[in-house]
Amino acid sequence: MKLPGDPFRLPPDKRPASNRAKRLEVLTIIFVLSIIGVISAVMGTSQTMKAMWVEDVLSLVPPIAFLIGRRFSDKAPDQQFLYGYRRTVAIAFLSAATALLGLGLYILIDSIAKLAYAEAPTIQTVELFGYRIWLGWLMVAALIYSIIPPLILGRMKLPLARELHDKALHTDANINKGDWLAAVAGVFGILGIAYGYWWSDSVAAILISAEILRDGFSDMRNSIAQLMNRVPTSVDGKDDDPVPAKIEEELQRLSWVKKARARLREDGDVLTGEIFVVPRDEQNLLDRLQQATDVAHGIDWRLYDVNVVPVRSLEP
Amino acid sequence: MNHSNRFRPIPFVLLSCVLAPIISCSNLPRDPKQTLRRVQTRPMRVGLVEHPPWVIRANGEPRGAEVELIRQFANELGTTPEWHWGGAQEQMEAVENYGLDLVIGGFTSRSPWKDYVGFTAPYFEETIRVATPPGTSVKTVKGVQVLAEDDAAMALLEQKGATVIRVNEIQSVTGPVAAPDWRLQTLNVTNTDIELDHVKHVMAAPPGENGFIKRLDEFLYQKRPSLASLLQQESQQNEIAR
Repeated sequence: MKLPGDPFRLPPDKRPASNRAKRLEVLTIIFVLSIIGVISAVMGTSQTMKAMWVEDVLSLVPPIAFLIGRRFSDKAPDQQFLYGYRRTVAIAFLSAATALLGLGLYILIDSIAKLAYAEAPTIQTVELFGYRIWLGWLMVAALIYSIIPPLILGRMKLPLARELHDKALHTDANINKGDWLAAVAGVFGILGIAYGYWWSDSVAAILISAEILRDGFSDMRNSIAQLMNRVPTSVDGKDDDPVPAKIEEELQRLSWVKKARARLREDGDVLTGEIFVVPRDEQNLLDRLQQATDVAHGIDWRLYDVNVVPVRSLEP
Repeated sequence: MNHSNRFRPIPFVLLSCVLAPIISCSNLPRDPKQTLRRVQTRPMRVGLVEHPPWVIRANGEPRGAEVELIRQFANELGTTPEWHWGGAQEQMEAVENYGLDLVIGGFTSRSPWKDYVGFTAPYFEETIRVATPPGTSVKTVKGVQVLAEDDAAMALLEQKGATVIRVNEIQSVTGPVAAPDWRLQTLNVTNTDIELDHVKHVMAAPPGENGFIKRLDEFLYQKRPSLASLLQQESQQNEIAR
């Protein structure tokens, strides 16, 4: 019996991808912090810029969750937490998503109100190298800067997310896409103000907050689903994970197994849970169970701490 | 990494080609309600709120540092100012609803109206500090008698535990005084390290009229070097008038 158990270890061939993903996420955090700094510096009274600020703070959550997750997956279960620490990530995800969802909703309502009351945004000039520069141009420059890092980093993360089957990384790559799209909308919002279309600020902010709500909502749904032990899915969450069916098939191929049924859940990037088997007879049962466990664990690198449980029947 | 994921610079080159001429275009930003264009075809409607030495109500034409600045600004735009006296509430409501083109009255960036009207960028900053006659100095104003000319400085001094003597005009300085830095320059005093407040002055334009506000910002920025002496002159004249 292995209680408390060993921590999950990434197979050696996945290590380079994992290290690369970690480096990309550290880079993302650095760039996003710099973007938040630049946006804060030129924010003024523009709704667009407020919305972009929230969007960028929101996009800090997945990389931080990913890095914390990678650290905790190395941490062995102990006497206090017999199942380990993997779920801290889902909890962090959930609380951050909830907070940012609220902020996104606030910006959305605020922008709609500003549009409804026809409040024109005032943008002044600032002194730069002895000249008066309209702050709007600096906002455009900040927004263009904020397009580039997420555009590049997001594209680099997608293949790694697939290889590592990491949903936090996949979510992050998607949020990066939302980030740069939102920044493009923001550029048009500010350019609209420059041309005297006061409403373009609120309209861009509404588009951006819709993007924030979409991100926040999908984060929240994913983390709630994981905390509720939803059936494993593919990395983009669209299809069922083929691994449980494959386990059932492989185990049923063993001569002593009459029937097998896998009940697995996702814990971060790993799959864990029980496989119920109905043996044809009780001969050498302990040895056979060990064999079944080994077969099951050999099917996919993500299987961790799977228990094979003998039962008389799968019917209730 | 596969090739399709590589960064392609072409969209950014295109974006820059589109943006560069837009940004260098000097008639941007534009006003949603055309204030800058309109004040050049009719008088500029300027709301005045009495606040010496910024806006001074005198017999005949209004005076004051901001009044003088706006006269010059109107002249530069080839228009004439049309003065409208009133209280802060009615003037701010008028400019919020585009009934005035500008309101002046010594407003600062702390004004609660900042969310409703279009303030210019701060065009003048003053530090209210304590100064003493040459050869003397104070470390703190607590329990000290200090001379002050205006109510704002008086309140700040009282908060710090000073005994304030309010005068209409500081003339002969025999002990510590508190006043804006431009005012202290005209007195025979030495500055101390005690700063009571830092104030940023702004003017109020209609909300969102970014083209008009930019033009005014640029004008006020140009005038910055002469502002302290303009204020000294206006406050002196105000005292004489009294």
